[in-house]
Amino acid sequence: MTTTYTKEELILKAENISLQYDKLILRDVNFEMHNIVRPGMHQGQVLSLIGRSGIGKTQLFKIMAGLIQPTTGTVKVGVEQQPVKAGDVGVVPQNYILFNHRTIMQNLEQGIANARVKKSAKEQEEMIKEYAAHFDLTDHLKKYPMQLSGGQRQRVSILQQVLTGNHFILLDEPFSGLDALVIDRVVELLLKVSTLDELNTLVIISHDIENSLAISDSAFVLAKEKDKEGATITQKLDLIQMGLAWDPEIRTKKPFIELVNQIKYML
Amino acid sequence: MKILKNLFSPFTTLPRSIYWVVVVSQLILVLALWQVFATGGLIPTPLKIGEAVIRIVTTAYFIDNFFASLLLTLKGMGISIIIALFISYLSLVPFFYPFARFVVKWRYLTLTGLIFLFTLLTSNGSQLKMSLLVFGIVPFFVTSLLHIIDEINVQEYELCKTLRMSNWQTLWEVVIVGRLDQVFEVMRQNFAIAWMMITMVEGLSMSQGGLGTMLIKSNKYIDLSTVFAVLIIILVIGIVFDYLLREMRHWLFPYTQLQVKKK
Repeated sequence: MTTTYTKEELILKAENISLQYDKLILRDVNFEMHNIVRPGMHQGQVLSLIGRSGIGKTQLFKIMAGLIQPTTGTVKVGVEQQPVKAGDVGVVPQNYILFNHRTIMQNLEQGIANARVKKSAKEQEEMIKEYAAHFDLTDHLKKYPMQLSGGQRQRVSILQQVLTGNHFILLDEPFSGLDALVIDRVVELLLKVSTLDELNTLVIISHDIENSLAISDSAFVLAKEKDKEGATITQKLDLIQMGLAWDPEIRTKKPFIELVNQIKYML
Repeated sequence: MKILKNLFSPFTTLPRSIYWVVVVSQLILVLALWQVFATGGLIPTPLKIGEAVIRIVTTAYFIDNFFASLLLTLKGMGISIIIALFISYLSLVPFFYPFARFVVKWRYLTLTGLIFLFTLLTSNGSQLKMSLLVFGIVPFFVTSLLHIIDEINVQEYELCKTLRMSNWQTLWEVVIVGRLDQVFEVMRQNFAIAWMMITMVEGLSMSQGGLGTMLIKSNKYIDLSTVFAVLIIILVIGIVFDYLLREMRHWLFPYTQLQVKKK
């Protein structure tokens, strides 16, 4: 598939990230991401960080979200390239944490309450209702999180972060524990979120190679190198350049299947 | 036969009707054994205790004492929970953390040894009872509340940070509002401790009456039927309040019912 696109300004840069607790968890993690521009549409970015369970993905996730400080290095986000701090980046954790004592409507209100752009109460309510309709959540606004299925809670969690106005949203294992049918809907939803704004950027941290690659335009493999302690980026894949991005039927294409197998072997 | 087998198998759930049959059968069995073995002995039989209960609850003397105890317990609980909440919430501020942890250790202090000190510090019997009650309950409340705070998933705090809440907003949302239902549960569980302590502290100043005073006076005259009757009344009132507080929790915090159902 040939598509016209250009890579513009730098919007995410991880530089010399290392994290050490009792042992070295992450070592020399470096990667960057540019704003991808396609004429005539809002084209956001979807980046996958793929790695085995226990390799340090969640720690990298927390560093990128500004929730923990790395031992060395910095993560800079946005066109201004400011060092990340908590609140700059939206986070959708693996178990879709929500405020269980609040209804879905109230949870979403919490998302919009401290949004980048201040809105009146009426505007906030209208915005929530509009987005809830997009996310197929209108019928659940009066319910409590405990009354929703895993997939529905995930949608609320994503929408809550979208409403904060953050362009960056990190998703920790978004396909984990979901059945095939729900995964297809999640993929559809993530693509929808990524194209809501030109600068919207989703970072998927997952061990699910196939689903992650299928919706990404870039992918980095987080793994350990032989005889070296700590995980690092061992492979960077530009899926657009490889002709493996933005194709709804990509899962059936031979080069894609080969790439998935190749990464499986590397992990 | 299958029901009988289920009765003695671990991890099996009985139908509600069978459960109540088991409860009533066991109660009847215990009362029957009690009646048989206590007849002619020092311990009063269930029938005699039953008669004493009916005699006591119909007197104005009981009503006065019951309300004296209940009022003191509720007042003590109210003051204790406010103090305990204040200490527990402050425990999240590093300066106050050691103090909160120290209060937890007060559970091991015996009130008996502190009566003299509290007598000096208070000006009348009513104040003495209240102070001892509050001092006795607060460490148990703080222990339970700190456990709730310790159990909060760190991801909830992280969620607040990603939603750009300040530390004080996070404290309000996650610890105060988010755990209010559990505070109610702590109150329910510790009502038993307060109710147990009430009879003890009432014995210190008997002029104002109360169920504790009734118990002590009956014990003094070895009126065991009345002693057992008062104990039964105390037990029943405790169970009723436990039920009322549980129902009130479900009514005030509807999502707690969902959590129960999910279990």
